[in-house]
Amino acid sequence: MFVDNRMTYLKREVMAAVASLFFDNKLKEEINRIPTKIIPRNSVSHRCCVEKDREIIKQRVIASLGFGLEDEKLVDESLLSDFVDKALDRDSPDKQILSFIDEACKACVRVNYYVTEVCRNCVAKPCITNCPKGAISSDEKRAHIDGSKCVNCGLCLKMCPYHAIVFVPVPCEEACPVGAISKNASGKEEIDYSKCIHCGKCIRACPFGAVVEKSQIIEVLKSLTGSGKTTALVAPAIAGQFPFSMKQLSGGLRELGFDYVVEVALGVDITAQTEAEEFIERMASGDGMMGTSCCPAYVEAVKKHAQKFEKYVSHAKTPMSYIAAITREKFPQAVNVFIGPCIAKRHEGLDDDNVDYVITFEELGALFIAKGLDVSSCTESDFDLGYATCEGRNFPVSGGVAAAVTKILEEKGRRTEITPAYINGFNKKSISLLNIYATGKSPGNLIEVMSCEGGCICGPGVVANPKFAANKLKEFVDSKEHL
Amino acid sequence: MKKTRITICTGTACYVLGGANLLELEDFLSDEMKSRIEITGSACLGMCKAASNDSKPPYVKIDDEVIHSATIQKIIAYLSER
Repeated sequence: MFVDNRMTYLKREVMAAVASLFFDNKLKEEINRIPTKIIPRNSVSHRCCVEKDREIIKQRVIASLGFGLEDEKLVDESLLSDFVDKALDRDSPDKQILSFIDEACKACVRVNYYVTEVCRNCVAKPCITNCPKGAISSDEKRAHIDGSKCVNCGLCLKMCPYHAIVFVPVPCEEACPVGAISKNASGKEEIDYSKCIHCGKCIRACPFGAVVEKSQIIEVLKSLTGSGKTTALVAPAIAGQFPFSMKQLSGGLRELGFDYVVEVALGVDITAQTEAEEFIERMASGDGMMGTSCCPAYVEAVKKHAQKFEKYVSHAKTPMSYIAAITREKFPQAVNVFIGPCIAKRHEGLDDDNVDYVITFEELGALFIAKGLDVSSCTESDFDLGYATCEGRNFPVSGGVAAAVTKILEEKGRRTEITPAYINGFNKKSISLLNIYATGKSPGNLIEVMSCEGGCICGPGVVANPKFAANKLKEFVDSKEHL
Repeated sequence: MKKTRITICTGTACYVLGGANLLELEDFLSDEMKSRIEITGSACLGMCKAASNDSKPPYVKIDDEVIHSATIQKIIAYLSER
Protein backbone atom coordinates (compact mmCIF):
# COMPACT_ATOMS: atom_id res chain seq x y z
CA MET A 1 0.00 0.00 0.00
CA PHE A 2 1.24 3.47 -0.82
CA VAL A 3 0.69 6.38 1.51
CA ASP A 4 2.03 8.81 -1.06
CA ASN A 5 0.26 10.15 -4.11
CA ARG A 6 0.28 13.11 -6.49
CA MET A 7 -1.16 15.28 -3.75
CA THR A 8 1.65 14.63 -1.30
CA TYR A 9 4.28 15.32 -3.98
CA LEU A 10 2.67 18.63 -4.82
CA LYS A 11 2.67 19.58 -1.16
CA ARG A 12 6.39 18.77 -0.86
CA GLU A 13 7.15 20.65 -4.08
CA VAL A 14 5.51 23.78 -2.64
CA MET A 15 7.46 23.52 0.62
CA ALA A 16 10.69 23.00 -1.31
CA ALA A 17 9.95 26.06 -3.49
CA VAL A 18 9.40 28.27 -0.42
CA ALA A 19 12.53 26.97 1.32
CA SER A 20 14.60 27.31 -1.83
CA LEU A 21 13.73 31.02 -2.16
CA PHE A 22 14.57 31.46 1.52
CA PHE A 23 18.03 29.92 1.04
CA ASP A 24 18.57 32.15 -2.01
CA ASN A 25 17.50 35.23 -0.03
CA LYS A 26 14.76 35.95 -2.56
CA LEU A 27 11.68 34.93 -0.60
CA LYS A 28 9.92 38.28 -0.68
CA GLU A 29 10.84 39.18 -4.27
CA GLU A 30 10.02 35.86 -5.87
CA ILE A 31 7.32 34.22 -3.74
CA ASN A 32 4.43 35.55 -5.85
CA ARG A 33 5.79 33.56 -8.79
CA ILE A 34 5.59 30.16 -7.06
CA PRO A 35 2.04 29.27 -8.26
CA THR A 36 2.87 29.94 -11.92
CA LYS A 37 6.20 28.19 -11.60
CA ILE A 38 4.64 25.03 -10.16
CA ILE A 39 1.59 25.13 -12.45
CA PRO A 40 2.90 26.40 -15.80
CA ARG A 41 0.46 27.46 -18.55
CA ASN A 42 0.77 24.22 -20.53
CA SER A 43 0.40 21.84 -17.58
CA VAL A 44 -2.40 19.29 -17.32
CA SER A 45 -4.91 20.74 -14.88
CA HIS A 46 -5.78 18.78 -11.74
CA ARG A 47 -9.10 20.60 -11.50
CA CYS A 48 -11.15 22.81 -13.83
CA CYS A 49 -8.31 25.01 -15.06
CA VAL A 50 -4.72 26.03 -14.34
CA GLU A 51 -5.98 29.22 -12.68
CA LYS A 52 -7.79 27.27 -9.99
CA ASP A 53 -4.77 25.01 -9.52
CA ARG A 54 -2.61 28.10 -9.06
CA GLU A 55 -5.01 29.63 -6.52
CA ILE A 56 -4.82 26.46 -4.46
CA ILE A 57 -1.03 26.46 -4.69
CA LYS A 58 -1.11 30.04 -3.43
CA GLN A 59 -3.10 28.97 -0.39
CA ARG A 60 -0.74 26.05 0.14
CA VAL A 61 2.19 28.51 0.15
CA ILE A 62 0.42 30.58 2.82
CA ALA A 63 0.15 27.44 4.99
CA SER A 64 3.84 26.68 4.33
CA LEU A 65 4.58 30.13 5.72
CA GLY A 66 2.76 29.02 8.87
CA PHE A 67 -0.61 30.76 8.47
CA GLY A 68 -4.18 29.48 8.44
CA LEU A 69 -6.71 30.19 5.70
CA GLU A 70 -9.75 30.94 7.80
CA ASP A 71 -9.78 34.64 6.93
CA GLU A 72 -10.92 34.36 3.29
CA LYS A 73 -10.94 38.11 2.73
CA LEU A 74 -7.32 38.39 3.82
CA VAL A 75 -6.30 35.44 1.63
CA ASP A 76 -8.11 36.92 -1.39
CA GLU A 77 -6.82 40.45 -0.99
CA SER A 78 -3.20 39.70 -0.09
CA LEU A 79 -0.25 38.86 -2.25
CA LEU A 80 1.96 36.04 -1.03
CA SER A 81 4.71 38.58 -0.44
CA ASP A 82 2.43 40.34 2.08
CA PHE A 83 2.65 37.26 4.28
CA VAL A 84 6.45 37.02 4.18
CA ASP A 85 7.29 39.79 6.65
CA LYS A 86 4.56 38.61 9.00
CA ALA A 87 6.05 35.11 8.91
CA LEU A 88 9.57 36.38 9.51
CA ASP A 89 8.49 38.59 12.43
CA ARG A 90 6.23 36.04 14.10
CA ASP A 91 7.09 35.34 17.76
CA SER A 92 5.62 31.88 18.10
CA PRO A 93 3.84 29.41 15.82
CA ASP A 94 0.05 29.07 15.85
CA LYS A 95 -1.40 26.59 18.37
CA GLN A 96 -4.21 25.57 16.06
CA ILE A 97 -2.01 23.54 13.80
CA LEU A 98 -4.37 22.67 10.94
CA SER A 99 -6.41 24.62 8.42
CA PHE A 100 -8.62 23.95 5.37
CA ILE A 101 -8.22 25.19 1.81
CA ASP A 102 -11.89 25.75 1.14
CA GLU A 103 -11.31 26.08 -2.62
CA ALA A 104 -9.97 22.52 -2.59
CA CYS A 105 -12.76 21.35 -0.27
CA LYS A 106 -15.37 22.48 -2.77
CA ALA A 107 -14.65 19.52 -5.04
CA CYS A 108 -15.65 17.17 -2.22
CA VAL A 109 -19.16 15.89 -1.50
CA ARG A 110 -21.28 18.59 0.08
CA VAL A 111 -24.23 16.27 0.76
CA ASN A 112 -23.75 12.78 2.21
CA TYR A 113 -26.75 11.15 0.52
CA TYR A 114 -27.01 10.31 -3.14
CA VAL A 115 -29.74 8.62 -5.16
CA THR A 116 -28.19 5.98 -7.43
CA GLU A 117 -29.47 4.47 -10.67
CA VAL A 118 -30.97 1.65 -8.63
CA CYS A 119 -33.94 3.99 -7.97
CA ARG A 120 -37.08 2.52 -9.62
CA ASN A 121 -38.98 5.79 -9.47
CA CYS A 122 -41.64 3.97 -7.44
CA VAL A 123 -45.17 5.22 -6.86
CA ALA A 124 -44.96 5.37 -3.08
CA LYS A 125 -41.81 7.52 -3.03
CA PRO A 126 -41.16 7.19 0.72
CA CYS A 127 -37.99 9.26 0.31
CA ILE A 128 -39.95 12.31 -0.79
CA THR A 129 -42.74 11.75 1.72
CA ASN A 130 -40.36 11.44 4.66
CA CYS A 131 -37.81 14.13 3.84
CA PRO A 132 -38.25 16.76 6.57
CA LYS A 133 -36.77 19.52 4.42
CA GLY A 134 -38.53 18.90 1.12
CA ALA A 135 -35.13 18.37 -0.45
CA ILE A 136 -36.09 15.46 -2.72
CA SER A 137 -37.91 15.63 -6.01
CA SER A 138 -38.18 13.27 -8.94
CA ASP A 139 -38.16 13.47 -12.72
CA GLU A 140 -39.28 10.78 -15.17
CA LYS A 141 -36.25 8.61 -14.32
CA ARG A 142 -35.54 8.83 -10.59
CA ALA A 143 -35.43 10.87 -7.42
CA HIS A 144 -32.88 13.65 -6.83
CA ILE A 145 -31.60 15.30 -3.66
CA ASP A 146 -31.25 19.08 -3.64
CA GLY A 147 -27.93 19.75 -1.91
CA SER A 148 -28.93 23.25 -0.84
CA LYS A 149 -31.85 21.92 1.21
CA CYS A 150 -30.56 18.52 2.46
CA VAL A 151 -29.49 18.44 6.11
CA ASN A 152 -27.90 14.95 5.98
CA CYS A 153 -30.44 13.36 8.34
CA GLY A 154 -30.35 10.05 6.45
CA LEU A 155 -34.09 9.32 6.64
CA CYS A 156 -34.33 8.81 2.88
CA LEU A 157 -31.65 6.10 3.02
CA LYS A 158 -33.57 4.29 5.74
CA MET A 159 -36.90 4.54 3.93
CA CYS A 160 -35.93 3.47 0.39
CA PRO A 161 -37.26 -0.07 -0.24
CA TYR A 162 -34.66 -0.64 -2.97
CA HIS A 163 -31.62 0.57 -0.96
CA ALA A 164 -31.12 2.93 -3.88
CA ILE A 165 -29.81 5.77 -1.73
CA VAL A 166 -26.20 5.56 -0.60
CA PHE A 167 -24.20 7.30 2.09
CA VAL A 168 -21.17 9.07 0.63
CA PRO A 169 -18.67 9.96 3.35
CA VAL A 170 -16.57 13.10 3.55
CA PRO A 171 -13.10 11.50 3.79
CA CYS A 172 -11.68 13.82 6.46
CA GLU A 173 -14.77 13.51 8.65
CA GLU A 174 -14.75 9.76 8.25
CA ALA A 175 -11.04 9.47 9.07
CA CYS A 176 -11.29 11.61 12.22
CA PRO A 177 -11.45 9.18 15.15
CA VAL A 178 -13.04 11.72 17.50
CA GLY A 179 -15.65 13.53 15.39
CA ALA A 180 -13.78 16.83 15.49
CA ILE A 181 -14.42 17.76 11.85
CA SER A 182 -17.77 18.99 10.58
CA LYS A 183 -19.26 21.57 8.24
CA ASN A 184 -20.28 24.94 9.59
CA ALA A 185 -23.51 26.71 8.61
CA SER A 186 -22.03 27.90 5.32
CA GLY A 187 -20.84 24.41 4.37
CA LYS A 188 -17.18 25.00 5.19
CA GLU A 189 -15.28 22.26 7.00
CA GLU A 190 -14.10 23.27 10.44
CA ILE A 191 -12.05 21.66 13.18
CA ASP A 192 -13.33 21.73 16.73
CA TYR A 193 -10.08 22.03 18.66
CA SER A 194 -11.81 21.11 21.91
CA LYS A 195 -12.17 17.63 20.39
CA CYS A 196 -9.16 17.42 18.02
CA ILE A 197 -6.33 15.12 19.08
CA HIS A 198 -3.92 16.29 16.32
CA CYS A 199 -3.48 12.78 14.95
CA GLY A 200 -3.24 14.05 11.38
CA LYS A 201 -5.42 11.33 9.87
CA CYS A 202 -7.52 13.95 8.08
CA ILE A 203 -4.46 15.26 6.22
CA ARG A 204 -3.73 11.93 4.59
CA ALA A 205 -7.43 11.09 4.10
CA CYS A 206 -8.29 14.11 1.96
CA PRO A 207 -7.74 13.23 -1.72
CA PHE A 208 -7.77 16.93 -2.63
CA GLY A 209 -5.10 17.90 -0.13
CA ALA A 210 -7.49 20.41 1.42
CA VAL A 211 -6.32 19.86 5.00
CA VAL A 212 -3.06 21.72 5.46
CA GLU A 213 -0.58 22.02 8.30
CA LYS A 214 0.63 25.40 9.40
CA SER A 215 4.29 24.74 8.84
CA GLN A 216 7.13 25.92 11.06
CA ILE A 217 9.76 25.74 8.31
CA ILE A 218 10.21 29.52 8.22
CA GLU A 219 11.19 29.53 11.90
CA VAL A 220 13.54 26.60 11.30
CA LEU A 221 15.08 28.23 8.21
CA LYS A 222 15.65 31.43 10.19
CA SER A 223 17.49 29.47 12.85
CA LEU A 224 19.52 27.44 10.33
CA THR A 225 20.72 30.49 8.42
CA GLY A 226 21.10 32.76 11.47
CA SER A 227 24.15 33.18 13.69
CA GLY A 228 22.84 31.00 16.55
CA LYS A 229 23.16 27.24 16.94
CA THR A 230 20.46 24.74 15.98
CA THR A 231 19.98 21.15 17.12
CA ALA A 232 18.18 18.45 15.15
CA LEU A 233 16.39 15.95 17.37
CA VAL A 234 15.67 13.08 14.99
CA ALA A 235 12.86 10.68 15.83
CA PRO A 236 13.77 6.98 15.65
CA ALA A 237 11.35 6.43 12.74
CA ILE A 238 13.78 8.36 10.52
CA ALA A 239 15.99 5.29 10.14
CA GLY A 240 13.46 3.80 7.73
CA GLN A 241 12.64 6.92 5.75
CA PHE A 242 15.44 7.66 3.32
CA PRO A 243 17.66 5.66 0.98
CA PHE A 244 20.83 6.68 2.79
CA SER A 245 22.60 5.67 5.99
CA MET A 246 22.15 7.36 9.34
CA LYS A 247 25.72 8.67 9.15
CA GLN A 248 24.94 10.26 5.78
CA LEU A 249 21.72 11.67 7.23
CA SER A 250 23.65 13.19 10.10
CA GLY A 251 26.09 14.70 7.58
CA GLY A 252 23.21 16.00 5.45
CA LEU A 253 21.57 17.67 8.45
CA ARG A 254 24.86 19.42 9.23
CA GLU A 255 25.18 20.64 5.65
CA LEU A 256 21.64 21.94 5.94
CA GLY A 257 22.83 24.12 8.82
CA PHE A 258 22.17 22.07 11.94
CA ASP A 259 25.04 22.29 14.43
CA TYR A 260 24.13 19.25 16.53
CA VAL A 261 22.33 16.04 15.60
CA VAL A 262 20.79 13.99 18.42
CA GLU A 263 19.00 10.63 18.30
CA VAL A 264 15.62 10.84 20.04
CA ALA A 265 15.97 7.08 20.55
CA LEU A 266 18.19 8.05 23.51
CA GLY A 267 15.06 9.53 25.10
CA VAL A 268 13.20 6.34 24.23
CA ASP A 269 15.46 4.40 26.56
CA ILE A 270 14.52 6.74 29.43
CA THR A 271 10.80 6.48 28.61
CA ALA A 272 10.97 2.67 28.50
CA GLN A 273 12.94 2.49 31.77
CA THR A 274 10.50 4.83 33.51
CA GLU A 275 7.48 2.92 32.18
CA ALA A 276 8.97 -0.39 33.31
CA GLU A 277 9.60 0.87 36.85
CA GLU A 278 6.17 2.45 37.02
CA PHE A 279 4.62 -0.78 35.73
CA ILE A 280 6.16 -2.75 38.59
CA GLU A 281 4.93 -0.18 41.14
CA ARG A 282 1.43 -0.13 39.68
CA MET A 283 1.16 -3.91 39.69
CA ALA A 284 2.32 -3.96 43.30
CA SER A 285 -0.27 -1.36 44.27
CA GLY A 286 -3.05 -3.30 42.58
CA ASP A 287 -3.78 -1.07 39.56
CA GLY A 288 -3.96 -4.15 37.38
CA MET A 289 -3.08 -2.31 34.20
CA MET A 290 -1.00 0.49 32.71
CA GLY A 291 -1.27 2.31 29.38
CA THR A 292 1.80 3.54 27.51
CA SER A 293 2.29 7.29 27.23
CA CYS A 294 4.54 8.07 24.28
CA CYS A 295 1.94 8.63 21.52
CA PRO A 296 0.71 12.20 22.02
CA ALA A 297 -2.42 11.77 19.84
CA TYR A 298 -3.68 8.88 21.94
CA VAL A 299 -2.82 10.63 25.22
CA GLU A 300 -4.79 13.68 24.03
CA ALA A 301 -7.67 11.37 23.05
CA VAL A 302 -7.70 9.90 26.54
CA LYS A 303 -7.76 13.38 28.12
CA LYS A 304 -10.57 14.60 25.89
CA HIS A 305 -12.64 11.50 25.19
CA ALA A 306 -11.77 8.52 27.40
CA GLN A 307 -11.32 10.09 30.84
CA LYS A 308 -12.03 6.81 32.62
CA PHE A 309 -8.75 5.47 31.26
CA GLU A 310 -6.75 8.55 32.22
CA LYS A 311 -5.55 7.24 35.58
CA TYR A 312 -4.00 4.21 33.86
CA VAL A 313 -1.82 6.22 31.47
CA SER A 314 1.82 6.06 32.48
CA HIS A 315 3.36 9.24 33.89
CA ALA A 316 6.51 8.67 31.87
CA LYS A 317 7.25 11.57 29.57
CA THR A 318 7.68 11.12 25.83
CA PRO A 319 11.13 10.37 24.38
CA MET A 320 11.06 13.83 22.76
CA SER A 321 10.47 15.49 26.09
CA TYR A 322 13.34 13.68 27.84
CA ILE A 323 15.88 14.18 25.10
CA ALA A 324 14.91 17.82 24.55
CA ALA A 325 15.55 18.53 28.24
CA ILE A 326 18.96 16.82 28.11
CA THR A 327 19.88 18.63 24.89
CA ARG A 328 18.88 21.99 26.39
CA GLU A 329 21.20 21.32 29.31
CA LYS A 330 24.13 20.33 27.05
CA PHE A 331 23.65 23.02 24.43
CA PRO A 332 21.70 25.77 26.25
CA GLN A 333 22.12 28.34 23.48
CA ALA A 334 20.83 26.13 20.67
CA VAL A 335 17.33 26.08 19.16
CA ASN A 336 15.82 22.58 19.45
CA VAL A 337 14.07 21.29 16.33
CA PHE A 338 12.28 17.94 16.55
CA ILE A 339 12.10 16.09 13.22
CA GLY A 340 9.54 13.32 13.10
CA PRO A 341 6.66 11.57 11.33
CA CYS A 342 4.03 13.06 13.62
CA ILE A 343 1.58 15.94 13.55
CA ALA A 344 0.57 15.55 17.21
CA LYS A 345 4.21 16.18 18.11
CA ARG A 346 3.81 19.66 16.63
CA HIS A 347 1.18 20.33 19.24
CA GLU A 348 3.14 18.62 22.01
CA GLY A 349 6.20 20.68 21.05
CA LEU A 350 4.29 23.94 21.45
CA ASP A 351 3.59 23.01 25.09
CA ASP A 352 7.16 21.92 25.83
CA ASP A 353 9.61 24.69 26.69
CA ASN A 354 12.57 22.59 25.59
CA VAL A 355 11.20 21.97 22.09
CA ASP A 356 11.29 25.09 19.97
CA TYR A 357 10.00 23.81 16.63
CA VAL A 358 8.70 20.62 15.09
CA ILE A 359 8.94 19.62 11.43
CA THR A 360 8.00 16.40 9.63
CA PHE A 361 10.12 14.08 7.48
CA GLU A 362 8.24 15.52 4.48
CA GLU A 363 9.37 19.00 5.43
CA LEU A 364 12.92 17.77 6.02
CA GLY A 365 12.86 16.22 2.54
CA ALA A 366 11.71 19.57 1.13
CA LEU A 367 14.58 21.35 2.93
CA PHE A 368 17.11 18.90 1.43
CA ILE A 369 15.69 19.55 -2.06
CA ALA A 370 15.71 23.31 -1.50
CA LYS A 371 19.36 23.25 -0.48
CA GLY A 372 20.17 21.08 -3.50
CA LEU A 373 21.60 18.34 -1.30
CA ASP A 374 21.95 14.77 -2.45
CA VAL A 375 22.32 13.29 1.02
CA SER A 376 23.96 10.06 -0.20
CA SER A 377 26.95 12.11 -1.24
CA CYS A 378 27.16 14.16 1.98
CA THR A 379 30.16 13.63 4.25
CA GLU A 380 29.29 11.06 6.89
CA SER A 381 29.12 12.23 10.49
CA ASP A 382 28.24 10.81 13.90
CA PHE A 383 25.40 11.69 16.23
CA ASP A 384 26.03 13.94 19.20
CA LEU A 385 25.39 12.80 22.78
CA GLY A 386 25.97 9.10 22.09
CA TYR A 387 23.96 6.24 20.73
CA ALA A 388 20.70 4.52 21.64
CA THR A 389 19.91 0.85 22.22
CA CYS A 390 18.31 -1.49 19.67
CA GLU A 391 15.06 -1.46 21.66
CA GLY A 392 15.06 2.31 21.57
CA ARG A 393 15.48 2.37 17.84
CA ASN A 394 12.71 -0.19 17.38
CA PHE A 395 10.18 1.91 19.32
CA PRO A 396 8.37 3.45 16.34
CA VAL A 397 6.95 0.17 15.06
CA SER A 398 3.68 -1.18 16.44
CA GLY A 399 4.66 -3.49 19.29
CA GLY A 400 8.01 -1.72 19.77
CA VAL A 401 7.11 0.12 22.96
CA ALA A 402 5.75 -2.97 24.69
CA ALA A 403 8.81 -4.93 23.53
CA ALA A 404 11.18 -2.37 25.06
CA VAL A 405 9.33 -2.41 28.41
CA THR A 406 9.15 -6.21 28.35
CA LYS A 407 12.89 -6.45 27.71
CA ILE A 408 13.60 -4.37 30.81
CA LEU A 409 11.31 -6.56 32.94
CA GLU A 410 13.02 -9.62 31.54
CA GLU A 411 16.39 -8.24 32.64
CA LYS A 412 14.95 -7.88 36.13
CA GLY A 413 13.77 -11.50 35.99
CA ARG A 414 10.10 -10.51 35.94
CA ARG A 415 9.17 -11.35 32.35
CA THR A 416 6.17 -13.47 33.40
CA GLU A 417 4.45 -10.55 35.11
CA ILE A 418 3.77 -8.64 31.92
CA THR A 419 1.08 -9.37 29.29
CA PRO A 420 1.05 -6.72 26.58
CA ALA A 421 -2.11 -5.86 24.64
CA TYR A 422 -2.17 -3.55 21.64
CA ILE A 423 -4.30 -0.89 20.04
CA ASN A 424 -2.55 -0.61 16.69
CA GLY A 425 -4.14 2.38 14.95
CA PHE A 426 -6.63 4.64 16.69
CA ASN A 427 -10.13 4.77 15.24
CA LYS A 428 -13.67 5.62 16.31
CA LYS A 429 -13.98 2.33 18.23
CA SER A 430 -10.76 2.80 20.19
CA ILE A 431 -12.35 5.35 22.54
CA SER A 432 -15.00 2.91 23.74
CA LEU A 433 -12.40 0.15 23.88
CA LEU A 434 -10.24 2.22 26.27
CA ASN A 435 -13.27 3.02 28.41
CA ILE A 436 -14.09 -0.70 28.59
CA TYR A 437 -10.48 -1.54 29.51
CA ALA A 438 -10.80 1.02 32.32
CA THR A 439 -13.58 -1.05 33.89
CA GLY A 440 -11.09 -3.88 34.35
CA LYS A 441 -11.98 -5.88 31.25
CA SER A 442 -8.63 -5.58 29.56
CA PRO A 443 -6.89 -8.29 27.53
CA GLY A 444 -3.50 -7.48 29.06
CA ASN A 445 -1.82 -5.45 31.78
CA LEU A 446 0.35 -3.26 29.57
CA ILE A 447 -1.75 -1.49 26.96
CA GLU A 448 0.36 -0.15 24.11
CA VAL A 449 -1.53 2.37 22.03
CA MET A 450 -0.30 3.90 18.79
CA SER A 451 -2.54 6.30 16.93
CA CYS A 452 -1.08 5.38 13.54
CA GLU A 453 -1.69 1.85 12.30
CA GLY A 454 1.71 0.16 12.03
CA GLY A 455 3.28 2.66 14.41
CA CYS A 456 5.12 5.95 13.94
CA ILE A 457 6.76 4.70 10.74
CA CYS A 458 3.28 5.05 9.19
CA GLY A 459 2.72 8.57 10.56
CA PRO A 460 1.13 11.39 8.58
CA GLY A 461 4.48 13.12 7.97
CA VAL A 462 6.45 10.23 6.46
CA VAL A 463 8.04 10.01 3.00
CA ALA A 464 8.73 6.27 2.68
CA ASN A 465 6.03 3.69 2.16
CA PRO A 466 5.50 1.47 5.23
CA LYS A 467 7.00 -1.70 3.72
CA PHE A 468 10.24 0.03 2.75
CA ALA A 469 10.33 1.88 6.09
CA ALA A 470 9.85 -1.28 8.16
CA ASN A 471 12.61 -3.16 6.28
CA LYS A 472 15.03 -0.25 6.38
CA LEU A 473 14.44 0.39 10.07
CA LYS A 474 14.98 -3.29 10.86
CA GLU A 475 18.24 -3.19 8.90
CA PHE A 476 19.42 -0.24 11.02
CA VAL A 477 18.31 -1.82 14.30
CA ASP A 478 20.02 -5.12 13.41
CA SER A 479 23.21 -3.36 12.31
CA LYS A 480 23.65 -2.18 15.92
CA GLU A 481 25.57 0.77 14.58
CA HIS A 482 27.84 2.12 17.33
CA LEU A 483 26.53 -0.15 20.04
CA MET B 1 17.78 -11.29 -25.65
CA LYS B 2 19.34 -8.27 -24.04
CA LYS B 3 17.32 -7.09 -21.05
CA THR B 4 15.90 -3.58 -20.85
CA ARG B 5 17.68 -1.71 -18.09
CA ILE B 6 15.52 0.42 -15.79
CA THR B 7 17.50 2.81 -13.62
CA ILE B 8 15.56 4.50 -10.83
CA CYS B 9 17.21 7.62 -9.46
CA THR B 10 17.34 7.57 -5.65
CA GLY B 11 18.91 10.99 -5.29
CA THR B 12 17.22 12.94 -2.51
CA ALA B 13 15.01 15.14 -4.73
CA CYS B 14 13.74 12.21 -6.80
CA TYR B 15 13.20 10.05 -3.75
CA VAL B 16 11.16 12.64 -1.85
CA LEU B 17 9.05 13.60 -4.86
CA GLY B 18 7.93 10.09 -5.79
CA GLY B 19 11.02 7.94 -6.28
CA ALA B 20 10.38 6.22 -2.94
CA ASN B 21 7.35 4.48 -4.43
CA LEU B 22 9.06 3.64 -7.72
CA LEU B 23 11.37 1.32 -5.80
CA GLU B 24 8.36 -0.99 -5.46
CA LEU B 25 8.02 -1.21 -9.25
CA GLU B 26 8.68 -4.93 -9.43
CA ASP B 27 5.53 -5.73 -7.42
CA PHE B 28 3.42 -4.23 -10.20
CA LEU B 29 4.93 -6.04 -13.18
CA SER B 30 3.72 -9.16 -14.93
CA ASP B 31 6.08 -12.15 -15.00
CA GLU B 32 6.54 -11.59 -18.72
CA MET B 33 7.68 -8.02 -18.12
CA LYS B 34 9.91 -9.01 -15.22
CA SER B 35 11.68 -11.51 -17.46
CA ARG B 36 12.78 -8.90 -19.94
CA ILE B 37 13.91 -6.11 -17.66
CA GLU B 38 16.51 -5.42 -15.04
CA ILE B 39 15.76 -2.86 -12.30
CA THR B 40 18.51 -0.97 -10.52
CA GLY B 41 18.48 1.90 -8.08
CA SER B 42 21.06 4.56 -8.76
CA ALA B 43 22.75 7.39 -6.94
CA CYS B 44 21.65 10.85 -8.12
CA LEU B 45 21.64 10.90 -11.93
CA GLY B 46 22.03 14.69 -11.85
CA MET B 47 18.91 15.29 -13.94
CA CYS B 48 17.27 17.59 -11.38
CA LYS B 49 20.14 20.04 -11.56
CA ALA B 50 19.80 20.36 -15.33
CA ALA B 51 15.99 20.38 -15.31
CA SER B 52 13.93 22.95 -17.17
CA ASN B 53 10.53 24.19 -15.99
CA ASP B 54 8.40 21.41 -17.42
CA SER B 55 10.66 18.55 -16.43
CA LYS B 56 10.34 17.39 -12.85
CA PRO B 57 11.62 14.63 -10.58
CA PRO B 58 11.43 11.72 -10.13
CA TYR B 59 13.65 10.63 -13.03
CA VAL B 60 13.97 7.14 -14.39
CA LYS B 61 16.18 5.94 -17.22
CA ILE B 62 14.91 3.17 -19.47
CA ASP B 63 18.07 2.06 -21.22
CA ASP B 64 19.32 5.49 -22.31
CA GLU B 65 16.01 7.27 -22.50
CA VAL B 66 15.09 9.61 -19.62
CA ILE B 67 11.56 9.71 -18.23
CA HIS B 68 10.68 12.65 -16.00
CA SER B 69 7.76 12.92 -13.50
CA ALA B 70 7.97 9.14 -13.54
CA THR B 71 5.19 7.00 -12.10
CA ILE B 72 4.81 3.24 -12.00
CA GLN B 73 1.96 3.54 -14.54
CA LYS B 74 4.12 5.63 -16.86
CA ILE B 75 6.94 3.07 -16.76
CA ILE B 76 4.55 0.17 -17.39
CA ALA B 77 2.96 2.00 -20.32
CA TYR B 78 6.42 2.56 -21.76
CA LEU B 79 7.40 -1.07 -21.32
CA SER B 80 4.16 -2.29 -22.92
CA GLU B 81 4.98 -0.38 -26.08
CA ARG B 82 8.37 -2.01 -26.47
